[in-house]
Parts: sequence; structure tokens; C-alpha cells
Amino acid sequence: MDEDQSAEETTFVVEEITTVIKEAVESTIGNSSYQHSKINQWMSSIVESSLSQLTKLGKPFKYIVTCIILQKNGAGLHTASSCFWDNSTDGSCTVRWENKTIYCIVSVFGLAI
Amino acid sequence: MADRSDLKAELERKKQRLAQIREEKKRREEERKKKESEMLQRAENVSEDSDLDRRRRETEALLQSIGISPEPPLVPTPMSPSSQSVSPPSETGSQESIDGGTVGRTLQWDTDPSALQLLADSVHGCRMQKLGASKIVQIDFMPKELVTYSKETQTPVASHQPEEEDEELSVTKSEPVPLQLEEENSQEAEEVHPRELTNEEKEQTTHSEDFLFFFDRSIRVMERVLAEDTDIFFDYSGRDMEDKEGDMQAGSNLSFNRHFYDEHWSKHRVVTSLDWSPQYPELLVASYNTNEDAPHEPDGVLMVWNMKFKKMTPEYIFHCQSSVMSVGFAQFHPNLVIGGTYSGQIALWDNRSHRRTPVQRTPLSATAHTHPVYCVNVVGTQNANNLITVSTDGKMCSWSLDMLSQPQESMELIYNKSKPVAVTCMAFPASDVNNYVVGSEEGTVYTASRHGSKAGIGEMFDGHQGPVTGISCHNAVGPVDFSHLFTTSSFDWTVKLWSTKHNKPLYSFEDNADYVYDVMWSPAHPALFATVDGNGRLDLWNLNNYTEVPSASVTVEGGCALNRVRWASGGREVAVGDSEGCVWIYDVGELAVPHTDDWSKFARTLMEIRANRGDGEEEGALELPA
Repeated sequence: MDEDQSAEETTFVVEEITTVIKEAVESTIGNSSYQHSKINQWMSSIVESSLSQLTKLGKPFKYIVTCIILQKNGAGLHTASSCFWDNSTDGSCTVRWENKTIYCIVSVFGLAI
Repeated sequence: MADRSDLKAELERKKQRLAQIREEKKRREEERKKKESEMLQRAENVSEDSDLDRRRRETEALLQSIGISPEPPLVPTPMSPSSQSVSPPSETGSQESIDGGTVGRTLQWDTDPSALQLLADSVHGCRMQKLGASKIVQIDFMPKELVTYSKETQTPVASHQPEEEDEELSVTKSEPVPLQLEEENSQEAEEVHPRELTNEEKEQTTHSEDFLFFFDRSIRVMERVLAEDTDIFFDYSGRDMEDKEGDMQAGSNLSFNRHFYDEHWSKHRVVTSLDWSPQYPELLVASYNTNEDAPHEPDGVLMVWNMKFKKMTPEYIFHCQSSVMSVGFAQFHPNLVIGGTYSGQIALWDNRSHRRTPVQRTPLSATAHTHPVYCVNVVGTQNANNLITVSTDGKMCSWSLDMLSQPQESMELIYNKSKPVAVTCMAFPASDVNNYVVGSEEGTVYTASRHGSKAGIGEMFDGHQGPVTGISCHNAVGPVDFSHLFTTSSFDWTVKLWSTKHNKPLYSFEDNADYVYDVMWSPAHPALFATVDGNGRLDLWNLNNYTEVPSASVTVEGGCALNRVRWASGGREVAVGDSEGCVWIYDVGELAVPHTDDWSKFARTLMEIRANRGDGEEEGALELPA
């Protein structure tokens, strides 16, 4: 793993990933209100675009992208996650995004190969 | 295709590692023969040999160009204890091992699939050691509490429940206090009827006027009796006085008497206004604004507290759909309580009725008020009285208590024909029904009159730098007339003393370190007034003693901001309302008792104040026509 690191940056860089995800979310549902008919399409597009952007980064990582979209209805939502991995190279990042009618949570887990 | 080459590079590195392992293994082949044979077997099962052969050659080529050393120390696993000796790898070392292993590579590559598996194991193995749990990532979106409105109606219940439950049902319709429920149950339990009344009869009885009246009175009496804890061993000779009135004896001027707080109705509400009953000096009404934590509860609550008995529950509880900002007992109608609400409605409650909701309400229309009403006042005489209300949009309305459907007269309080005054507080001087003073949000104070040639706003008094929160006209009646004096409190941390004859303050009291929320002159002592501020301080200023500092001061327990202060009509007690819904009653000692010379002393004090003020620079000070 050491030589991997020296070869390429293979620690999970949270800021970079966050930016990528935020862009993906904004471009998909940036200005939209919750619409049941379009939700599936939005979700797949968010996940796909995030993933493709992440792989374009070219890092030796396995990525897991999850996306949760919640309609703002007054309900409460709670999620939690924990991982057992190599803390020095692997990482996760979660992006919360909301607008007037939608809550969106996108989580990315990156595991160094 | 870049991915492919990356993958290949990865694979190559792994294979280098493998090469090392294999080398070690070869040295210990004797010990590991069994494993080898197993691996060989596995090798035959896999059909990827050709692929691997290709990769093998590519690897060889790439190995020369890439001088990267293989993976760092491999941890001993059950599968490959020999890997331990591989650590630490060095570039040269690995290269050597690779070179050395080239010969044996064929052997190794034959065992490739197993080697891959070994790799996997070893990789996992090596990674297993370095794994740790990550932090728990948690995301919460809190639920919103929805305000729902549901109305229930009860059809005649055709059930055979015992009397107590029937009582409960009927009482729940009128939202009882749980204590009342218990009381009524205890009451009902005693009245065992010899024969079972039919349900209609029960309903009839429980709803009949007589019953409700009796019931209402009885629970009150029961509560008072139950709360009473007078000491029957009280010794008037004074030896026992220490425990109860030690504070008074110690000569303190302000001592805590009691506080009024109801768990259910006072919680999380601010006391917006207080008033003492003119007919029954022990009754105090307090109005509360909305409880934001309980959106289903009524927004406005009024509670009438009784000083005479020790019970901790209010005498009466009244509700309203909008927060009650100001409250007052109707001067000439002992049963009526008037409240001005946030929505602009004036509500009238009657304690003769059994309803908690107002018996009369003014309409929400442009003829009445549409802005919060912070000032309600009944002025006049027994036979000719009016309710005066002023809202924050500068509208003053005069009502007759018999008919609240429209005001008798209404007036816009406009200063200088420009914009209306945003009135936050109002006061009538003693025995004056026409002229009054109002304080505004901008910090200016105005005199106004109801009738006459100069109806509307009269003079402007400028001095405060923040909204005026409280205004009080001199109340005490005595040999000298000070009714032209009034005091104001404001957000600018000061309390100012004014005379209606000067448009600049006579004196400014600057002892406070927070917003001063209210001020009130004592009804008995000519030179005494009380102020409350946001730090929880209650101050008594006796101008005959000091004008720089308060003569007595106390900080209310808990230190929450105090919103209102009201003297009891005798001038011996002070009621303070705070921002947590608690009403505190303080006894005032010797300080509150006026002496005959206090009036003349005060007149002299005033002259001194005026003289000092005259020395100072007052710009634009005008002597106003009285």
C-alpha cells in the first residue's frame, strides 16, 4: 500500500468527493420540486453521474454510492452508518442537500484497492 | 483502456508479491509439499492459464520498466507464514526476488489461481490487520410537528357507565384541569344515588345551571381548604415570628412572598400583562402569550390568581385563540375581565359563565383593531364608563362594555399629520378621562386626548433611544398634586421621569444594565416606583431617598427577564411577571408606607431635579402649556 500511495494519491479525499457529489446533485435536482413521477429518474441520474465523475478521478478506489431522497412532509428521518476498513486509506463522505420540498442524502464510500 | 493498464499494473504488483511468497515457499517446499499439491490441484481446475501466461510475459516486460517495489510487509497468515520473511521489502530486494524467482515463476504461475487466492487471502490478511472501525456517520432530519384541528361532537351516550365516568365525559367537553377531575370524582363518590338514574336524567342534572354552579363553587372551596396550611400553634407574642417573617424583621424592604405558576398553563409562556382587581384586592389576573412548544393549546391564556389562599391553582382559567397581550379587570363590572389580543380582537370573559372562552369578542374588522392591542383601560365612572383600547397601528377605539360589536368611537393617533404612532403602552393620569399619555415603538412619548378641540395626539416628548416599553402616571393622591408626572421605561436601559409640562425628560434613571420592561408608580407613596428589567431585577426607586440608585432591589430567582410589574392597590405588594410564565409576589416593607411629609419632600426633590436639569444643557426644551 505504501507504494500505491506514493504512486498515486490513494487516500480518500473528502473535499474533492464532496464537490463532485454536490455538482451531480445540483445538476439533477437543483431547481426542482418533489415530483413522484420523476423521482426514479433523478435518483438514477444522481447515482450514475456521481459514479462516473468519481471513476473519472482515476483513483484506485472501489466506490459505493447511495442516494436517499425524502419528500419534505414533516416526517423525521434518521440514518447512520459505520464501516470496518482501513482508516488510513478508505473513507466515506456524505452530502446533505435540501431545498424547499426535498431532502437528499448522498453517501459515497471509497475503499482503496 | 487506461483502466485496463491500471488494472494490469495492479495485477503485476500483486504478482510481484506473489513471487516473493512463492520463493519463500519454495525454500520450505519440504514442509509445504502438501500445500503445493493442493495448489497444483487447484491450478488444474482453473481455466485461466492461457490468460495468465500472457500476463506473465507482459509482467516480465513491465517489471523491467516499473521499478516499484511490491507490497509492504505481509503479515503472517495461516496460509503463508513464510510471507513474514518477505518483510521488509525493498525495491532492490523485490527485484532480486523477482529475478530469482523468474526461474521458479513458471512454477508459481502454474499455481496462479491458487496464488491469486493466496494473494487475496494475504491481501485480506494484511489488510485485516489494519482495519479499524470508522466513525459512525449519522444523519438526522427532525420531524415537524403538525398542527391539526379536530372537532369532536358527542352524540348522546347510550352507555351504562357509572356516574363518575359520566361526569368525566361531560367535563372533558369543557377542558377541565386534572385536579378538577379528581375533585369532582371525590365529590361524586359521596353522592350515591339510591336508584340508577337514566342517562337522560344524568345528562340533565350535570348540565343544569344549579349543578354547575354548585360544582364550580365546591371545587374552589375544596382546593382552598386543601391548600391551607396555617399554623394553629401560631404564637402572637412574637417568638414564632422569626420563621415566617424573618425577612421583614430583618428590615429588608423587598421580601419574597409567593409565586404563581401552573405546570400546564404557565409553562413556556411569557407573562404579558398583570392587573389587580379593584373590588377584591387579593385577586390578580395574569395574561400569557402563546406556548410555542404546544401548538395545539390555545394561544392566549388568562389566569386569575388568589393571594388569600395558599392553593397553587388559579381561581379561573380563561382561554383565547390569539395571544393576550394586555389584560385588565373591568373597573366597574366585578365579573368581567378584558383582554387585548395579538390579533387585534378585544375579548371579554365573564367569571359567572362556566366557559373558558370569551363571552364577547370584538370583530376582526377594519372598524375595530387589526393590530396587536397592547393597551386596554376602563375609564370613567360607574354610570358612564368606556373601554379604551389602543393598537400598535395607532388606532384608538372607545367601546361600551355592553356592546363590543363595534366601537363607539375610533381615532387614528397621528402625529403632525404624517404617520400614525405605533403605540406600545398607554396610561391615564389619575382621575382624568380625557387626556392620556402613550409611548411608542420609536421611543417617543406623546400626550393625546379623546375629546375636545385637540382630539388626538398632542405633544411629543422626545428622549428615549429605544422603544418605550412601559409608561406610568403618578398615582398617589395626597396633599400635593403630582398628576402631571409620569415615568417611562424603554429598551435603551433607562427609565425617565417626565412632566407633561416639559417635552424633555426631567430626569433619567440609568442604573439598569438591560432592557427595562416596565415601570409603575406606587399607588400609595408619592415618591416610589418600581421597575423591572431583562436581568430579572426588580427595583424600587424612592426619589426622596436617592435618585441615582434604587432604594431596594432584588433579583428574581431563576434570573429570567421580567416583563411586567404591578403594584397592588394598597401599595404593599408588588406583582412581577416573568418570561417563563411565573408570577412573583413581593412584599414591600417600610419603604412602601408613605409618611405625611413625603409629599412635601417629593415636591422639594422635584424642584431640585428641575434645578439640576436647568443647569444642564437641554436643547429644544420647551415649556409646554399645562
